[in-house]
Amino acid sequence: MNCEEIKNLMDAYLDGELDPVTSQKVEEHLRSCGNCERAYEVETAMAHAIRQTAPYYKAPIELRERIQFSLREAIGATSSHGTAGAGPLPVRRHQAARRGVFFEMPWSWVALAAAIVLGAIIGSTLSPRLQQPGSDQFLATELIANHVRSLMADHLTDVASSDQHTVKPWLDTKLDFAAPVLDLSGDGFPLIGGRLDYLDNHSAAALVYQRRKHFINLFIWPTTSADGKTQTTMAREGYHLVRWTDGDFTYWAVSDVSLSDLQNFKQLIEQQTARR
Amino acid sequence: MQFVAEAQPIKNAMAATLEAEYAFGAEDLEARDKVVKFAVFQRHEEQGAAQEHELASFEAMMLPHMDAAHNLARWLLRNEQDAQDVVQEAYLRAFKSFSGFHGSNGRAWLLTIVRNTSYTLLKKNRAADLTTTFDEEVHASGHQSSSPATILEHAEDAELIKNAMNELPAEFREILALRHQEDLSYQEIGDILKIPAGTVMSRLARARAKLREYLSSQISQEK
Repeated sequence: MNCEEIKNLMDAYLDGELDPVTSQKVEEHLRSCGNCERAYEVETAMAHAIRQTAPYYKAPIELRERIQFSLREAIGATSSHGTAGAGPLPVRRHQAARRGVFFEMPWSWVALAAAIVLGAIIGSTLSPRLQQPGSDQFLATELIANHVRSLMADHLTDVASSDQHTVKPWLDTKLDFAAPVLDLSGDGFPLIGGRLDYLDNHSAAALVYQRRKHFINLFIWPTTSADGKTQTTMAREGYHLVRWTDGDFTYWAVSDVSLSDLQNFKQLIEQQTARR
Repeated sequence: MQFVAEAQPIKNAMAATLEAEYAFGAEDLEARDKVVKFAVFQRHEEQGAAQEHELASFEAMMLPHMDAAHNLARWLLRNEQDAQDVVQEAYLRAFKSFSGFHGSNGRAWLLTIVRNTSYTLLKKNRAADLTTTFDEEVHASGHQSSSPATILEHAEDAELIKNAMNELPAEFREILALRHQEDLSYQEIGDILKIPAGTVMSRLARARAKLREYLSSQISQEK
């Protein structure tokens, strides 16, 4: 190969796009020709400069958040979480009308800011009730808040199914533990679906059951040292809460059904999990 | 009977009251309304679940390429705010057409959309930026180019390299970023830029030559 041919092949050689045979011929020539070798050195330096010296603009974390927020907005999934006025029926937001191509961002921020302000208002109205001693009391407040929120926003379930064999695998992929999922429709507590929830600084499975026109949220997570081991019953703000454990998991049932219904529900779950 | 009721624990009496509540017809009427509402609610939930499932697979496939998307947009637009807006817009566009995407190279697909979105903005803002406005053949004789040694010496100067890159026309900036920062093959670059692999090679060669030339001129200006 002469220098002119090498000059034409040098870029492909540098980019590793030559077949092995041609590549070897170029290599041999570069070893024997000082001029071509120097030219190749400069080419390599250019490539290296772009790769190593020029800035690589990673996406800032705010952009990542903004995009995930706007994607959720696009499917209407961010709608009315925590908006007290929304009522029990979900108002699925219209697919946001296409705005001018590059003007989405300020509106997203406005929506986000509004959500934060709303969250703060709700948080501050709830917080006086939080000022009670005892970790169970704190947890109970959190549980009730999650229960109420699940009913208000259109977020009762992440996976809506009365089939425990649909709900369980779904939850298993989302959680690092395998929560027992039981259908009690034969006993008057049909399973409505499952949801991921976050409680007491850890994730929890939330199973939703129906009792007549009422809903029961059953929160399940692996028992930790922070969890009480005894059975507890609480009544607060018109809701009943029952806690029990079965050695592996801690269960909290939250609902506005009667306490006897909830106790009955608890016994059914206990019997069925013990049978497994 | 009253006597017996009083003798029972209070909570049972409360439970009995609540049970009795369900027996009322008026309660049932209200309940029926809620059942209808709940049916609507559940249908929404099912649609929502399908959409959320699609979003989850979209995010799993596309979010890992956000750095690549942002880097390309940033080099093309040379402006952080524009780059972010373009990447966001591109992700929304990509999600809308995600159901029609059956390829395996999610990154190349996303970068194609980022590029198209970037050019839409570039055309709107700075039409002049799009084309190579100078005569590329003139550059070699145009001015004294620095020796290879001098260029090698300056190849580590980040500010210098960045400025030289930004001096290049958009078609050179993008091809250099795709080749040397994303390590894409000629074939992948060709798919994104909609040009044959041979053109990728020659354009890359011209881009690197141009970068070398700008580097030379900036070095000589410094002196």
